[in-house]
Amino acid sequence: METILKGFGEVVKTVTFRVRRYDPEKDKSPSYKEYKVPVQKGMTVLDGILYIKENLDHSLSARYSCRMGICGSCGMIINGRERLACQTQILELNKDLIKVDPMGNYALIKDLVPDLEKLFKNHRAVKPYIIREEEKADAEYLQKPEQREKFAMFTECILCGLCVSACPTNGADELYLGPQALAQAFRYIADNRDLGFNERLNVLDSKHGVWRCHFSGSCSDVCPKGVDPALAIQYLKGLLTANVFVKHQQEGAAKGEPRKSVLETL
Amino acid sequence: MRESKLMFLQYLTGLLILIFGTFHFLLLSYLAPTTNKVLYLYLGNTHQLIGGTLYYSTVKEIYTTLLWGAMFEAFLTVLVYHAFNGFRVILSEQFQGPRAEKIITYTMLVIALIIFIYGSRTIVVLLTGGG
Repeated sequence: METILKGFGEVVKTVTFRVRRYDPEKDKSPSYKEYKVPVQKGMTVLDGILYIKENLDHSLSARYSCRMGICGSCGMIINGRERLACQTQILELNKDLIKVDPMGNYALIKDLVPDLEKLFKNHRAVKPYIIREEEKADAEYLQKPEQREKFAMFTECILCGLCVSACPTNGADELYLGPQALAQAFRYIADNRDLGFNERLNVLDSKHGVWRCHFSGSCSDVCPKGVDPALAIQYLKGLLTANVFVKHQQEGAAKGEPRKSVLETL
Repeated sequence: MRESKLMFLQYLTGLLILIFGTFHFLLLSYLAPTTNKVLYLYLGNTHQLIGGTLYYSTVKEIYTTLLWGAMFEAFLTVLVYHAFNGFRVILSEQFQGPRAEKIITYTMLVIALIIFIYGSRTIVVLLTGGG
């Protein structure tokens, strides 16, 4: 008897999932395997993959967690385009064949699970945090809403890595920092509380930094959170060019009132 | 040199190539200050003089002035920089690592210098009455 997933609408049609399979311990090269999945209203590609895993092939591996487009774990290439599997409705694809590949430009751990170490390493390289000289944070650094607006969009990044998978420069240049790390570098440099421009300069202004972006825009096109990394990179190019003539100055927001304990506020 | 300086020069030379290129293709035939005009715009049965000169002797006469020679030398300089820095960027994306980058940089530098010297020689020979 066909298993029907609870919580979804009626079965509308059966769709073929063509999934790329690769187990480095067993397989010499990747291959595709097809599965027939009964699609109910509301089912996402991730639901389809989980249906396969639970009912058709337990050996299929995929990475996922929140199922609601927040954690950024289930990035994969669906019908040739980078998407979050949990945000992609099967019926909205309007196809009878759904091809699922792991994200590109990453090493592969197994099946649909990429090794994201490169993404995290590049993210760490741009020092994605507020840099100040003071060690002791005994008060908040002040920021007005309009100051936050300058970089607000770039705080939405969930580190899913889809942009790096879509980026053609990342496909050619293994050492390229990538759109995710560069957008986060801009996010912190543009923050009025930050004073770390010079600390990030060597990484950003290197042979595999900002200047290797050719503005193909694929990163911005596929971002599931509406972040525009290509825009951030163009801003960075402008900052670095201006920095050749006039050294970039960051304001470094002032501190507010010292923090009080709960008892002091009573 | 920092990558930002190299890339600023890349964009600047790109712009200058556009300006010098426009001069190179348009000025001589259309705006060159000479009375020896040979370009016409044909309008049915009539024709209208639009200026310029393409007689070989006139072309050579204009090209061998110091101003044009200096412009060609500047054109050659920006072209060589833009082309070979561009090749360096393309190749360094394809072949990574400190050793590969060093080989690419120096190879491009040597080829650029050879072409620059050969091109400069041609301009100087023309200016001094040869060619």
